[in-house]
Order: sequence, then structure tokens, then C-alpha cells
Amino acid sequence: MSTTLIIVIAALVLIVLYAISGYNKLIRLNISVDEAFSQIEVQLKRRSDLIPNLVETVKGYAAHEKSALESVVAARAKATTATTVTDVAAADGALTQALRGLLAVSEAYPDLKASTNFLALQEELSTTENKVSFARQFYNENVRSLNEAIKTFPSSLFVPMAHVSVREFYVVDDPQNRQSPNVKF
Amino acid sequence: MSSSNFRALQASNQRKTFGLLAGMAILVTVVVYAALTYFGQGGIGIVPIAVTISLISVWGSYYSSDKLVLTMTGARQIAYEDNPKLFDLVQEVCIASGLPMPKVAIVSDTAPNAFATGRDEKHALIAFTTGILDVMDRNELQGVVAHEMAHVANRDTLVSAIAATTAGAIALLSDFIMRMMWFGGRRDNRDSNSNPIALVASLVVLILAPLAAVLLKSAISRKRESLADATAISFTRNPSGLRSALEVLARDNTVVQQRSTAVAHIWIESPLDGGSVSKLFSTHPPIQERIATLRAMESNPL
Repeated sequence: MSTTLIIVIAALVLIVLYAISGYNKLIRLNISVDEAFSQIEVQLKRRSDLIPNLVETVKGYAAHEKSALESVVAARAKATTATTVTDVAAADGALTQALRGLLAVSEAYPDLKASTNFLALQEELSTTENKVSFARQFYNENVRSLNEAIKTFPSSLFVPMAHVSVREFYVVDDPQNRQSPNVKF
Repeated sequence: MSSSNFRALQASNQRKTFGLLAGMAILVTVVVYAALTYFGQGGIGIVPIAVTISLISVWGSYYSSDKLVLTMTGARQIAYEDNPKLFDLVQEVCIASGLPMPKVAIVSDTAPNAFATGRDEKHALIAFTTGILDVMDRNELQGVVAHEMAHVANRDTLVSAIAATTAGAIALLSDFIMRMMWFGGRRDNRDSNSNPIALVASLVVLILAPLAAVLLKSAISRKRESLADATAISFTRNPSGLRSALEVLARDNTVVQQRSTAVAHIWIESPLDGGSVSKLFSTHPPIQERIATLRAMESNPL
């Protein structure tokens, strides 16, 4: 009698421990997704902070490239107000596009390209672009693990308990955006 | 190479490491069994002694590897202001991998090379020679940084410490046993197994075991290098950077000044003269093979 009781209790304890670890796994994955998203926002903010300086520098040498300059400023303004994943991704894509345009235009101004200010900005801009794109990639990896855990058995059992839901991927429209604007040295 | 995507490569290298570590465990068992065959139960006492000595000698250096290697290689730790571009590259890979920022160090040496060490990701240290910083462009350096951070992510300092401990214990064991044969001979002839074939077999095992252990250790090291290449690509998704970095290393024939075999396995390119070391004993896979694997990944990205 008592052995059966012990076996039943042991089985119950094991089931409870299993449920706790399954629940914790989902919560942990959900937190990593949030953290990864805030990393994207940190890097986008960094890039956005570089832009006024970049615009000023380019203006000094190529003031009449109005359209390229204006589209960067407009895209930056839009990016600062976005909040949802889709909006942030869209604004991010537009700004990346505009920056690429501005850098392409700058190619035509040897004085600008030679200025020390611009050279320093280029390194900062290219590392920030890399950081933005790695942060996107890391976020999507985390979303992938979370979504996989939510949709596959047995981790799917704990979804109602953990109150987590499938998250959306950070998709930037333009396929070219997978690469950062190519800054030549 | 049957598959050229990094996830499959990572899985296959992990599996092979596991198989090789299991091989080490089997080797230890065989050595202990051979000792028992030869000496009877009296020989069992030396097994814990050999394991303990080996553990102490390896784990001290494992635990403080980040500090020890600094003195062994003459690396100097640097701050952001010393080399902003290098720090930016390391930060990029940290974001891509989700790893914490490691310590960064520079070795004054014209030979291009780099290494990673540290007992866990919080105590990681990655170092670069001044040569590699001069000769490589941003894209190539990013591949090298990713390879070193991959070693950190895969806990390769731990893996090689385990391999070194086991190989060390096996070498000590067979050394002890040989000495005991020399001086004492077999003490309990009466009750132990006196089948001559078994005795000869156990002798052969004891002589060959240390060699086999070194071969296994080198094989593990080579698998970890291939794994680090694959993991690096999972971080950067840019096989061409690391590929072209390895091509630079392959073209270059200067060699890091200190050729200490004790730290040979930690560099990205083996500092030992490739020509004189046979493939079975080398700590790195042939560089051309690594380049070919990366090239295959470039044509077949995901």
C-alpha cells in the first residue's frame, strides 16, 4: 500500500516540477523577445542621434542636395514616433533607404569625403547600421524560438498558463535592407 | 561536405565532439581495465591518484584562464578609446549573439592571429595581434571577431580543459603502471588472471593509450574549430568575411613568435609550423578545408 502511495506522490511531484520548468521556459523566451526588441530600439535611437550631425556635415559641402537631405530628416522624424513592431520596422526601412541615398550622393563630393568629420561619422554610421541589423536578426531568432515553443508539443501545453502569445517577426520591406549601406573606406 | 548550412554544421560538430568525448571515456575505462588485468585488485588505488593530479593541474589554469593567458602570450587589455573600431566590431557581434561584452586585448606581434579564452562567457577574453588589425579590413575582422566569440559561446575553454584533463590522467596512469611493472612486477600472481595473451594485450594498451589520448584531444580541438566557424556564421550571416579572413591567414606565412604548444590550440590559426605537424596531431583543421566549407555556405546561405 505505502509503496503505491510513494509512487503516486513521486509521480505527482515530477509532473509539478515538469510543469514549472515548461512554464518558466515560455516566460524566459518571452522576456528574451522583449529584451531583443528593446535592443533594436536602443540601436535605432543611436542611429537617429547621429543623423543631425551627419546632415550638418553634408550640408556644409553639398547644400543643394536638398531632396536627399530632406528625405533623411523626414524619415528620422517618422522613426521617432513609431511604437509597434510593424511601424518601427517600416520607419526603420524608410530611414535606412534615405541614408543610403544620402551616402550615395556624398560620393560625388571629394571634399566632403575627405573631411575628418565625415570620416569619423562614416565609421560610426557603419557600425550602427551593423548593430541595427544584428539587433533585428537577434530579435527574429528569439521570436522564432518563442513561436516554435508555443506551437510545438509539449511546450504548447503551458501556453494558457504562461499567457504568452505568438510574436511577429521584425520584417523590413526592402530585400536590400538585409545588408547595411555599403560604406567604402 | 554533405550539408552546407550553418545550423546543420553546428549540430554535426556538436555530435562529433560528444562522440570523441565518449571515446575518451571508453579509453579511460580500457586503461583501468588493463591495469586491473595486470595487477589484480591491488592496482585500483592509483586510478583516483592519477585523476586527482590531472584535475588539479588542468583546472587551476582553466579557472583563471583569462588572466593566465594574458601573461603567457604577453597580451595587453585595452579600453574603448584605444581602438574604437575594434570595440565597435566586438559590440556588433555581441548584439548578434546576445553574449555579454568580453575583455578585449592586443598582442604586439606582426603575425596575424587571434584567440579567445575564459572559463565562461562572463570571464571571456578575446585577443588580437597587432598584425591582424593591420592586415584585415572591417569585413574580415568581423569574421574573426565572430569566430572568437563563437568559441566563447560554445564554451570551448571548458571543452578543451575536459579533454586535457582526461588525456593527462591517461598519461599519468600508464606512466605509473609502467613504473610499477619495472620496479615491483605483479604482486598477486596467484589469484589474478595469468592468461598470457591478456597480459600482453594489457601491456600494449598501456603503451598505446597516451598516444590515443593525444590523438583524441587533437581531434576534439579540430571539431571545435569547425564548430566555431559555423557558429560565427550564425552570428554574422556573412560567410564571405570569415572566408576572406582565412584566405589572408593562409597567404601569410609569418608565425606568432611564441610557439608554446601549451597555448597553440587557442589561436584562430595554428601558430605551430604546419609542415612538420601531421594532420592527425594538429589542433586545427587544414585552413583550405575551412575556406572550402565557408565557400559552400556562401553559395547556399540558409
